[in-house]
Amino acid sequence: MTTKATINRLATGVPGLDEVLGGGLPEFSFNLIAGQPGCGKTTLAHQIMFALATTQRPAIYFTVLGEPPLKMLRYQQQFDYFEAEAINRSVRFVSLSDDAMSGDLDRVLKRIVEEVTAHNPGLVFVDSFRSVAFASENGGSPRTSLQLFVQQLGMLMTSWQATTFLVGEYFNETDANPVFTVADGLIWLRQSVQRNSMVRKMEIMKMRGQSTLPGLHTFRIDNAGIRVFAPAQVVAAGSAAPDAAAHGARALLGVPALDDMLGGGLPRGYSLLVAGPSGSGKSILAASFLAEGARRGETGVVAAFEQHPNRSRNPVLVDLIARGQVGLIDSREPDLSIDEIVLLILTEVRRLKASRVVLDSLSGFELALAPTFRTDFRESLLGLVTALARAGVSVLMTSELEDRYTDLRFSPYGAAFLTDAIIVQRYIEVDSRLLRVMAVVKVRASAHSNELRLYSIGDEGIRMGQMLPEQEGLLGGRPTRKLPPASSAPTDVA
Amino acid sequence: MPLKSQDGRRWRAPLGGRIPDGAHAGQVADAVAAIWREIDQALHPIIGHRGVAALYQRSLSLSAAAYPWLAMEQRGIPAAVDPAALHAALVQQTGAEAAAGGNALFHSFHQLLASLVGTSLTERLLRSVWDHSPGAAPAQDTSP
Repeated sequence: MTTKATINRLATGVPGLDEVLGGGLPEFSFNLIAGQPGCGKTTLAHQIMFALATTQRPAIYFTVLGEPPLKMLRYQQQFDYFEAEAINRSVRFVSLSDDAMSGDLDRVLKRIVEEVTAHNPGLVFVDSFRSVAFASENGGSPRTSLQLFVQQLGMLMTSWQATTFLVGEYFNETDANPVFTVADGLIWLRQSVQRNSMVRKMEIMKMRGQSTLPGLHTFRIDNAGIRVFAPAQVVAAGSAAPDAAAHGARALLGVPALDDMLGGGLPRGYSLLVAGPSGSGKSILAASFLAEGARRGETGVVAAFEQHPNRSRNPVLVDLIARGQVGLIDSREPDLSIDEIVLLILTEVRRLKASRVVLDSLSGFELALAPTFRTDFRESLLGLVTALARAGVSVLMTSELEDRYTDLRFSPYGAAFLTDAIIVQRYIEVDSRLLRVMAVVKVRASAHSNELRLYSIGDEGIRMGQMLPEQEGLLGGRPTRKLPPASSAPTDVA
Repeated sequence: MPLKSQDGRRWRAPLGGRIPDGAHAGQVADAVAAIWREIDQALHPIIGHRGVAALYQRSLSLSAAAYPWLAMEQRGIPAAVDPAALHAALVQQTGAEAAAGGNALFHSFHQLLASLVGTSLTERLLRSVWDHSPGAAPAQDTSP
């Protein structure tokens, strides 16, 4: 019978960080928070400290030669997590600047040992560690003394059962810095600038003893502090799928003839792409989808990525939002990432226990993304659709499509293959009138109509009309009357 | 001489409880020096000796507008608070003038720190010093 050491994982109190770390921060680990100036290292350290520090597990924050402590206190207290009452109770700030100025690392280490021994902290922060290294260089000590210093500090802190963070500026991550070898965890913060947009990214380059989520994770800093956006799929995995039995196997769109064409509504959990030119009624269909849900006691979420906040919305939708049956995600944050959007949507879905989601529209969505993500828009879209599918909601996405009468297109993003169902809307010219036609192009694993039918938009919304069997060439936009009127009954295909 | 406090909130002159009414300048100077040492004791672990010394110098400079005898010769940033020169300046005043100047100096310092880190954190950091003051007994170490 073996008894392995149990590694407790601490919840960092930074939203999304525990997921990215692979389940929290290992207790008694020796971690490095690295990155360039202004990327949020000190903020991350403070947020973790205020979340974890208690009178039973006090924290010591050593400031070395970086930011003057007075300034740090001045700016850090602007964040919501900062608790003035915790200071000198569960959180202790210790300035090592006088010792560090001497350039003698032994003296700095001695002070740290004294403080740690005297106060028995469960959490230790050293900020900024880079300045310790500079101090040692100025003092003329060889680089090995820094390695020795880190080695000793790491050993001391682990034995002293303190979870430790070294905060430091490192410009070059390929630098074979001895600190990187000693550290159990390496959290690298970055700012990625492209054109006029800036996106903050975090990478867990190392975390001993647990599998972290690889890659760059976007995060944002606001008054509440840091929020990390874990990958969409991970966020969605925690969602409970809406109860299909309670709502029926199909989600009706609220346009009876169209629901018939779909084979009885949209199968639950499917994503539906509504593609059509400007003014064809995509948003009206989307509103009808949510209104039909509300009529049946379901809740929904609409993510609107419009560029005109004051443009009047569909009155049906406005009413649903006002009554709280539909949640509105109307993010005007600049430079969104796909993971942030997914988190926004899923948070709202969970809050309302929603079963229907509308994304209106993909073009607006693309513009809302930071430029750095636009090059991977298809991947981002796939991530979004997959995450929503995992959450079990039925999704309706609209996509603006320039009418091209030479071919049948569904989406400028090649999004068609990502979705389970497609409805396409077109304008056609008949008898000097601009008419609209609609067809169900695809419903995965389900029978659906192949009719191309006229429809009109009135005060009550979309009304389906007849087929135009006597016309041909509808998809070319300028149909011609067929000479021998040969009518045949429409057939359903699987 | 009553001190006009600009924000008034929770501020009370720390000299109040530490010197008897009509105290002579020597008593005032001892109490002021003792309080500065307590302030240094409370703050230097957090912001360093040099950090406290810089605030001390700034407070002297601000208070010198109303009490010109508080203007001390400044020689760069000192490594730590040294109230000896202040003590020497205080004993040359009358008791009342010394007490008024001393209180003005602490008030400037309090305002300065509050402007930098906010009133709530300032109260938190200086609680041990101010709490010490209402007691009638002067600070234990009165030697300059």
